Amino acid sequence: MPEVFNISQTPITAHAFNADRSQLAVSFNSNDAQILARQGSEWISTETLAEHDKVITSIDWAPNSNQIVTASQDRNAYVWQQTPDQETGKIVWKPTLVLLRINRAATHVRWSPKEDKFAVASGARAIAICSFDPENNWWVSKLLKKPIRSTVLAVDWHPNNVLLAAGSADMKARVFSAYIKEIDERPAATVWGSKLPFNTICGEFASAAGGWVHSVGFSPSGNVLAFASHDSSISVAYPGGPVHHIRMPTLPLVTLTWASEDTIVAAGHDCQPLVFSGSEAGWQEIGTLDNGSYGSGSKVGPGSVGRLKTGAFATFRDADSRGQTSSGTTDTKLNTIHQNTITSLRPYAGSPGQITQVSTTGVDGKLVIWDIASVSALTGRMAAMSM
Amino acid sequence: MSHTVDIPQSIKDSLRKFRFARRNEGSAAIVIKINKQKLIMEEVEQFDNISIEELAEELPENSPRYVVLSHALVHPDGRTSFPLVLINWAPPSSEIGLLTLHASALLNFQTTADVSKVIEIREGPEGLTSDVVNSYLLGK
Repeated sequence: MPEVFNISQTPITAHAFNADRSQLAVSFNSNDAQILARQGSEWISTETLAEHDKVITSIDWAPNSNQIVTASQDRNAYVWQQTPDQETGKIVWKPTLVLLRINRAATHVRWSPKEDKFAVASGARAIAICSFDPENNWWVSKLLKKPIRSTVLAVDWHPNNVLLAAGSADMKARVFSAYIKEIDERPAATVWGSKLPFNTICGEFASAAGGWVHSVGFSPSGNVLAFASHDSSISVAYPGGPVHHIRMPTLPLVTLTWASEDTIVAAGHDCQPLVFSGSEAGWQEIGTLDNGSYGSGSKVGPGSVGRLKTGAFATFRDADSRGQTSSGTTDTKLNTIHQNTITSLRPYAGSPGQITQVSTTGVDGKLVIWDIASVSALTGRMAAMSM
Repeated sequence: MSHTVDIPQSIKDSLRKFRFARRNEGSAAIVIKINKQKLIMEEVEQFDNISIEELAEELPENSPRYVVLSHALVHPDGRTSFPLVLINWAPPSSEIGLLTLHASALLNFQTTADVSKVIEIREGPEGLTSDVVNSYLLGK
């Protein structure tokens, strides 16, 4: 059974758990981030991280070094560390400004696996790779620019701490080398290439019909790249091998994560997490984590798409041809748990190669924790086509 | 005149020695940094017979430095001379306080080192190439 928490009435822009999942850093579509602590079945706000001047677009919490990085539309990122406060002695989160040197909003931020660097995707057609310079005691950023032609929407790190995948509004998913001379040792050769100076392109992929790439993810081994595009498809790319496109007749997915080497969980405008499975031979959709019995809406579910089947048109047509008046307010409620787009899906429990639970947050202000094992088949819609 | 950063006598001596050392081949450089805590200049290292591109690799990407370069310049009429030129190495990702301190102490350092030609490299390693140095020295 998925655990559902109604944490806010406003959309949740970003969420990140700490290492033992007892605390949650969230942004409620505002300039401040909140730290919520779990108390039984509730999440109570313990601290507010207020430093940004504009909406915080993305948060990431490094599990080992316990640092939080927040990125915002104000073109800055802050790294927060827990230190004892000067006057009171309490442990508080203290921010350190990171000058990204971008001239547009930051959209997405992720810590690297070793937590010594982080990547910030931005609307400035660049990705800022930030590392700590101990000589000057501050964070320096290096920009990955070529050949990005539009806003970068999502980034994901390869397990070797050097390669970075980026999905962009120029409809391409790319793999870059983010090798920083002072921080990284020379990485071993991977399927993506060897001897990779900073800003080398190791791969560039597009989906079947094109479309903004909303989310990218490396598999646990790092040898495969998956990305979700706005043409309602998921593409799985094997470097030097085939690229499998799974096209769906439903709404686009905007966030994805790998549960294991052969399973991907993704979610988006359909308000439910979907599970995909496959290998180099091919990929297909195997079902949803939300079988519709948890929600309390009416039959206006994921099966009905199109403007003639839902909404005002259907209400009046039913009233006219079938004599059915609207059944109260239940036909505005979806029968999925999330009542609005899921914007962020992150691993919650399990080891890095075998994720057992994922957490989702969305525009409806809910946090839901799903069990990946309970997959139900999708009913009421066409089977997914795979090429 | 009060100075923000002091130049110790050892640095002045190193600079004089560097200036008068006989040059036979290649370019030589001496790299000086500012110690922000003590507000003095310190010598980082000296290079002999190094190319400009190698020097660009050696210099830090996130910290400002003063580099006094004795460059092997080949004139269009075939002569080789070894003029001294000061490179103000100031990459944009350096810490702001240090960058400002570096800029304020530049004039003082320039008069102490007694070098008339100054090249500003503000873009990092891409901006320091032999072409840039040669065209500056030949153009002057």
